[in-house]
Amino acid sequence: MTHSSSSQSALSTSLGEDGLGQQSWWVAQWMELINSYRYKKRLERAWNYARQGNVISIQFEGRRVHARVQGTEKEPYKVKLWLDVLNDEDWQYVIEAMAKKAKWSAQLLAGVMPKDIENAFAASGKRLFPFKLEEVKSECTCPDKANPCKHVSAIYFLMGDRFKEDPFILFQLRGRSRQQILLDLTKQRQKLKHKQVEKISHNLYTPLPIKPDLWWSYNHNLDSDLVVITPGSGKETGIHLAGELPMAEDPQFPKSNTTFLSNLISHVETEAHKAMLRAMKANNE
Amino acid sequence: MSVLHATWLEKRNSNPLSLNPYLFIWADEWNIAKPKEVRDAPLPHPFHLSIEELKNWLTTKNLLPSQCFPQTALLTLPSKSIKQKKFSIDSWSGLPLLADEPIPTQYEWWPWVIEGLALKPNDAITWLAHLPLTNQNNDFGDELLWWSHLERWILSLIAKGLWLPKVEINQCEESVGQAQWIPLISHEKERRRLEDFASRLPLVTSCGILLEEKSQDLKNKHLASHRPQENRVFVSNLLQELIDAHLRDSFTPNDKELDPLLKAWQKALGSSDGKLTLNNEELIRLSQASRNWKERISGQFQNARACLELLVPQHGKDKWRLIFSLQAEADPSLKISASTIWNTNTDFIQLGNIRVEKPGEVLLEGLGRALGIFQALEKGLENATPDSMDLEATEAFIFIRSIAKQLREIGIGVILPNSLSGGLASRLGITMQAELIQSSKNIGLGQKLSWEWKFMIGGIKLTFKELEALGRKKSPLVNYKGIWIELRPKDMENAENFCKNNPNLSLDDALRLTGSDGNTLMKLPVHHFEAGPKLQNVLERYHKQKAPEPLPAPSNFTGQLRPYQERGLGWLNFLNRFNQGACLADDMGLGKTIQVLAFIQHLKQENELNKNILLIAPTSVLTNWKREGEKFTPQLSILEHYGKDRATTISDLKKRLLKIDILITSYNLLTRDSELLEGIDWQGIIIDEAQAIKNPNAKQSKTVHRLNKKQSKKYFRIALTGTPIENKINEIWSIMHFLNPKVLGEIEFFKQRFQLPIERYGDISSQKELNVLIKPFILRRLKTDKSIISDLPEKVELNEWVNLSSEQKSLYNKTLDKALADISSSPLGQRNGKVLGLLTRLKQICNHPALLFKEANVEETFPDRSGKVQRLIELLEEILEVNDRVLIFTQFAEWGLLLQTYLQKKWQSQIPFLHGGIRKIDRQTMIDHFQNDPRGPNIFLLSLKAGGVGLNLTRASHVIHIDRWWNPAVENQATDRAYRIGQNNAVMVHKFITKGSLEEKINQMLIKKSRLAEDIIGSGEEWLGNLEIKALRELVTLDKDE
Repeated sequence: MTHSSSSQSALSTSLGEDGLGQQSWWVAQWMELINSYRYKKRLERAWNYARQGNVISIQFEGRRVHARVQGTEKEPYKVKLWLDVLNDEDWQYVIEAMAKKAKWSAQLLAGVMPKDIENAFAASGKRLFPFKLEEVKSECTCPDKANPCKHVSAIYFLMGDRFKEDPFILFQLRGRSRQQILLDLTKQRQKLKHKQVEKISHNLYTPLPIKPDLWWSYNHNLDSDLVVITPGSGKETGIHLAGELPMAEDPQFPKSNTTFLSNLISHVETEAHKAMLRAMKANNE
Repeated sequence: MSVLHATWLEKRNSNPLSLNPYLFIWADEWNIAKPKEVRDAPLPHPFHLSIEELKNWLTTKNLLPSQCFPQTALLTLPSKSIKQKKFSIDSWSGLPLLADEPIPTQYEWWPWVIEGLALKPNDAITWLAHLPLTNQNNDFGDELLWWSHLERWILSLIAKGLWLPKVEINQCEESVGQAQWIPLISHEKERRRLEDFASRLPLVTSCGILLEEKSQDLKNKHLASHRPQENRVFVSNLLQELIDAHLRDSFTPNDKELDPLLKAWQKALGSSDGKLTLNNEELIRLSQASRNWKERISGQFQNARACLELLVPQHGKDKWRLIFSLQAEADPSLKISASTIWNTNTDFIQLGNIRVEKPGEVLLEGLGRALGIFQALEKGLENATPDSMDLEATEAFIFIRSIAKQLREIGIGVILPNSLSGGLASRLGITMQAELIQSSKNIGLGQKLSWEWKFMIGGIKLTFKELEALGRKKSPLVNYKGIWIELRPKDMENAENFCKNNPNLSLDDALRLTGSDGNTLMKLPVHHFEAGPKLQNVLERYHKQKAPEPLPAPSNFTGQLRPYQERGLGWLNFLNRFNQGACLADDMGLGKTIQVLAFIQHLKQENELNKNILLIAPTSVLTNWKREGEKFTPQLSILEHYGKDRATTISDLKKRLLKIDILITSYNLLTRDSELLEGIDWQGIIIDEAQAIKNPNAKQSKTVHRLNKKQSKKYFRIALTGTPIENKINEIWSIMHFLNPKVLGEIEFFKQRFQLPIERYGDISSQKELNVLIKPFILRRLKTDKSIISDLPEKVELNEWVNLSSEQKSLYNKTLDKALADISSSPLGQRNGKVLGLLTRLKQICNHPALLFKEANVEETFPDRSGKVQRLIELLEEILEVNDRVLIFTQFAEWGLLLQTYLQKKWQSQIPFLHGGIRKIDRQTMIDHFQNDPRGPNIFLLSLKAGGVGLNLTRASHVIHIDRWWNPAVENQATDRAYRIGQNNAVMVHKFITKGSLEEKINQMLIKKSRLAEDIIGSGEEWLGNLEIKALRELVTLDKDE
């Protein structure tokens, strides 16, 4: 992937260096899983197949992935993929294990997939990530007898892209959504009382009595740092801090994500400039 | 007077796509209204302006929005309950309260229907940019200032690019999403600001809802009051709407190379409704991705945030400690420790008034994000319910130097040990002790002090040797005597430098260093300044931490100084000793003149008055000075440099000066005779009504500044003014430049450093700094100060001496000559009437020549033709300046009408005139407006006959008798309109007296025979008519100029 607008501004260059080159560990792990597959030739074909845009749709419906792939026939083939689901008992072990280490909850709450999450799953004797590609179960309506066929393999690749958008899809494939897990963790934590101390009283919420003069009066000075309005250094804009757009790429539009970002960056720049002019004009009025 | 308001009408919940939110602008105006009886539907707000009135009014203010449309809204306002005679159980009666109206004891909230103009969010941003950033406009409700500050915040967020696009799924409609632009409020500073805007929100901003179909809506709504939602929710929604509108409007999608999904998103981001139509699966993908994208940099808005507090190692240990807690966003001092959270383990927790839902999750979410920045945190999150962790010294150092700042940027609270918090206090600085060497009477600013100093860091003292020893440890964090401190190489350099130079300390330095916190001496912050008793005394008085020490009136002062005046005298003397100019800015009526006269008399008594003093004042008060001088300091001889007979050559002037102490002249003559006056070596220069030189470019200011420059070093300068000059940035420079030129520097510097930041943006830090600089030189007491009130009688009578204009003088003489001849030849029976007729005509001339000519129009030259008008304007300017209210009494209706016309034109506002020709009902309206309207008129003209009795006008604290009724009882009765029960302030009574005319003489007569007068005179002026011709002539003949 090349960066299309590296010469446009300092901002987009740094974006290229910091953001676009990095790959999250779970995506990397998924790709590793695929690449460990024995039949390299078949994989390569599937990869090209995916890049050519033959996959019409891919949908995560609960625990299964449904996709439609345009093959040689008129009707697209229907592809189904799924993993072994953890049963409630297994999940209970996982939740108990996860709750023992606050780091896992903290990262899940902050939207980060913990690197050592597999350790929590080990408590149930199960795994989150499949160990081998064979664990990814699949069906395809194509006549090809080989499993995985190239349609299925193409979906493998695209799933990696989707994990980039939302790593917690993996949980879903194993039977629980992130929300469910977080809820279970909260319950679990409540069971584990830290230390027993006497209960602290909770005064109930009482709204402040509203005084009528609050209706009208405001007598404050402008914050000092709003007196002169300056632009931030380019690296602190929201677009820059958020980094690469976590969107799976459509093979037909390889530059889509970077173009989208660079359009936004130019919006940042023109608007920042206009805002400063406006602020200065107010100053001079 | 109409007052403009702005209320935000939120989007209706029912269908988020159907309606825009609007900025709703409307205006109200106080009026007399009967209480409204509300039964089953809200009523129109009785005081609001109609659309047409509003538009016209906005047009005159140049504030009519280019894009807006008429709209009706329902606003819930505090309303005063007024009981009706016919009490009914199913209705309420009362009126909405207006801004600034005093809060009655009985009030309720009621919805009122108001018409106004609605602006779409983006048009609102454009319109708000025209509002001033400081509150100086009486026509605006306070909330407009809030709005203009919010606008400023929005511009700042956009300038810093603190926003992201987002996709929300519309809950009501299948396959429809909403593409939005959202502000990023993650940085600690921006979060703080959100809390500030929320806690300072004037609720009129959020109390409205939009009425669509007026009649139908009203029925449905009944009388439910709209309770404003939580302020911070309101403000963050508002911010989001305005930022969204702004970024959306200016965004042009560029489809090139985008895949269909991003193309659709981008298109929706640029479309007016933001509607995003995709199939459901695509929509979920897009919203999920956008959420994950945003989550990387910003958590959810919560009431509280995770907070990390660093504690120094315990004695003898080397591990630092990091404590986890939750901290209220609205008040960071409200904290709850993680261990308490885990112990209570409930769904919500109460931090003071703030309710935090799911505290454990909020805490962990913050820790999760903090982990992304501070890897070392990981080992603290190993157990199920972490509350703290140990840190190695190196980790602690990194935490202090860089992590703390980064954490604050993503909205995590950080608390560092005091000695390491990075503020000035934790920097290497000095602590010092100083004292005056001798108690000589003539201490100058350059006076060297005896002093000792030590280095200080984190609150502990150390010598340079000790400092060097610590430096040799080569560790950035060192523990010295139990305190952890951070040694920076730059600080060490400064310290070394300081030692090498071993500087002297002068009194000037001491005054500067003690003026405010955060001062430095040779780049080192001064943490502690200890003054010896003698120096302390000087410092406290200089910085006004202590009231000035009183100085009793000199023995030859023939009046009585009130206690605050003795303090004023002491203060003038104190600054004079340091050769510093002084600005005495006491409220009008507190006696600035006699304090200055007493000061000069004091100099004379101490044999310090060796040269002459020049006193410059407006022409209209020259007589006042002369008369007061004669009265209180008869030993001081005062000469007026005024009129045709004034000295014209330097030798002549010097000769005249030999015999006198004080030369008084007007600003006009100063400019004309500047060369002459600059040729004299004065002992001091006093400028009265110093606002006369407020404009540095005006001729008279330039003359004063030039005169000032030509003087030898040792001479005193005093400026007198009754207006609060310390609040008027554009005026302070010129006066300070006269008093102490070094304090504020040259005008260009002053403008850049103080005037622009303060005037345009109300910059509080510059304002504070300026105040510190000028504070030592300004003494201002208000008649409302508690310490003054007790010194002051409730009623202060002041004579306002004014000169006659030359037109008045010649008219006066002509009229008099003619009439006296006529009277002396008249039969006795007619004399009485003729005498009274003459007196009336003379009184009219003393007021204004236009009265004699029965002129009906007010020409441009109107003020120039009458000394009284000139003085009146000066007085009114001072009174209006401090928003006081004043009654002006006259006995001539024509005079009142002329004044009304003139004053209305000058101040561009309605000034009521109550006289015999006014209908009863209109009289009551005038009185109500003056007495009750929150923004009612400040000036009220009344005829002595119609307005002199019965009325209650206690809102006025000044009474002006612009012409005199020679009967004290009648005047006093009029004065009592203001001076009566209900009056909380001292009342200043100003009696105008034209110098040398019959007004002055009758005044003297009245004073001499005051008791007699009350007995004999009765209530009329007839006694004057019975005077013998000789007595009459004496009484009315105009004195020659003295």
